[in-house]
Amino acid sequence: MSDHDKNQGNASEKGWADNPLFIRAFLGLLILSCIGVAAASLNAAWHNPHPHFEIEAFPAFFAIYGFLAFAFIVLAGQHLRKLVGRKEEYYDERE
Amino acid sequence: MSASNLLSVFLDNPAVILTVGALMCIATPRHLAGVIMLAATAISAAKLHALGLGDYGGIVLFGEEIITIRIDRLSRIFAVVFHIAIALNVIYAWGQKDRAQNFATLAYPAAALGGVLAGDFLTLFIWWEMAAITSVFLVWAPGTRATYVSGMRYLAIQVLSGVMLLGGIALFYHETGSLAFDAIGLRDGNGVIKFSALVIFIAFGIKSAFPLLHNWVQDAYPKSTISGTIILSVFTTKLAVYALARGFAGTTELIYIGAVMTIFPIFFALIENDLRKVLTYSINNQVGFMVVGIGIGTAASLNGAVGYAFSNIIFESLLFMAVGAAMFRTGTSKATELGGLYRTMPLTLTCCIIGALSISAFPGFAGFVTKGLIVDGAGGFSFVIWLTLLFASAGVLEHAGIKIPYFTFFAHDSGKRPKEAPIPMLIAMGVAAVLSVGIGVYPEPLYALLPDQEQIAGYHPYSAYHIIEQLQLLLWAILAFAVLILIKWYPAEVPSTNLDTDWFYRVPGRALITWAASAARATWNALWGIFSGRVNVLMARIYAVHGPEGQLARNWPIGFMALWTAVLLGLVLVLSFLA
Repeated sequence: MSDHDKNQGNASEKGWADNPLFIRAFLGLLILSCIGVAAASLNAAWHNPHPHFEIEAFPAFFAIYGFLAFAFIVLAGQHLRKLVGRKEEYYDERE
Repeated sequence: MSASNLLSVFLDNPAVILTVGALMCIATPRHLAGVIMLAATAISAAKLHALGLGDYGGIVLFGEEIITIRIDRLSRIFAVVFHIAIALNVIYAWGQKDRAQNFATLAYPAAALGGVLAGDFLTLFIWWEMAAITSVFLVWAPGTRATYVSGMRYLAIQVLSGVMLLGGIALFYHETGSLAFDAIGLRDGNGVIKFSALVIFIAFGIKSAFPLLHNWVQDAYPKSTISGTIILSVFTTKLAVYALARGFAGTTELIYIGAVMTIFPIFFALIENDLRKVLTYSINNQVGFMVVGIGIGTAASLNGAVGYAFSNIIFESLLFMAVGAAMFRTGTSKATELGGLYRTMPLTLTCCIIGALSISAFPGFAGFVTKGLIVDGAGGFSFVIWLTLLFASAGVLEHAGIKIPYFTFFAHDSGKRPKEAPIPMLIAMGVAAVLSVGIGVYPEPLYALLPDQEQIAGYHPYSAYHIIEQLQLLLWAILAFAVLILIKWYPAEVPSTNLDTDWFYRVPGRALITWAASAARATWNALWGIFSGRVNVLMARIYAVHGPEGQLARNWPIGFMALWTAVLLGLVLVLSFLA
């Protein structure tokens, strides 16, 4: 073990969350759950008995909307950085 | 009113009990201070319970009846959760040395509690300003120049809110002849906006951080100490939420304002590197949901807004505590410097994830059982607002549900291997986590506190459609996150300062004030130059006449004096003849 490694202690040690098996299991469970709830939404008996809008009864509407909303927030939102992002010391230099 | 009656009016007030406790903390060593703080909180809670629903502490002041304590179903639920939050904060910050901070840890929540219990505007105003003044000690607590300057900005904005409230109260009293703090409504019977109501509305708006008036939260809160930020995150905005619910329930403008509040912080939170600052944007977003509920103003949505405020105080504090614990151990709350802490801080991670699931409103957690009332109310109002709240719910999941735990405990490995959080922090986080789950699986005690019991009696959050809809939204949003991470489209965190509305007064505003100050100085100097020049000339002339060499300073001969005496006497003689 090199000195550098000693200074880092066991920093390079892989934890449970880095285990590919855990990642695969997590993703597998996530995908199964996603399919499960989307499929559940097809059952009309599990629809809102007093919907406000017709779209609520559309198959997997909430799933599609959730996916798109999240993707939009991340993909569009990061461009805000170009407009308002400054270096960390921005205010320190001005106050 | 006799002196003993007056004394009992004060000592009956839970907020005064807490304030007395806060004053005692100033002169007490740190561990004893913790005991005093918990004891004061317990006594105050017991007093609140003993009083029960009703009006107390009435005083007649200048012919007006002042109700210093009003405990009804709306104020009581806020008072209860404030006590829970105080106790959690005291435990979390156990052993804190700084006496000014110990004082503020109790005095500031006391002021917020006093405001919530106020039955009239005058009492509200006093506690409103007390909350501003006592809380600034928390902003100043780290003692750096940056926190000092930020604290001054914070104080200016908070006091502005207080001054506007006072102005609004004066106008309101002039119009109605009453100081009672009840439903005000923004418009009169003809739909015209009342000026007095508008001024009070803006005063409440500043404290609840309406869009464009929001940035004092991000400027001041993350600069405080670890525990200071958590305390600050609870009280000011929730006092304002209470005030809006009391004064402006059913005000349509609030629906639009609240909807904007739920949306814009999402984007700022996405690009923010400091995780405590991310959570301050989360405060804006969460208060937005409450403001929408208040704006809709039906029994269901008001129950939703108030119930959501209750649970939010617990799980938002929990998230702040978890990030605070990571910061306590590593010295930073920046996403770029954290990561991989799950290895050595598993208990903090567990609490953080419970907070994240609660704020995202997963079934089984605190957010779920009340948020549905607000979103459903929005559905009854407008399609666009309903879609906006669903969109914002995905946004909450992004910045508070995923970003906070992911970048603190997972993401890239920072190589940091800190110890688990200290015991007091773990206790506070553990209690908050248990409450978050407890409210989620057994919401009845919370429902029993809600303002409208008739409405909530017929509400069942765990209907199949509600669970399925919510799980679709959240699980598929998590799927989107997983996909974006896998294809490496999720943006990396970068150390940066992101400009927000505070830029206007911190850079151009500051430049304008600096310019105005130097212009005023230059004008003054010029005017003084002209004035003093004139005075100098005058003095020189006087000196020339009266000085040692001057005309009037010479010796006068006696004959000259005798001559002038004769002239004057002659003049008097002539005048007396003429008269």
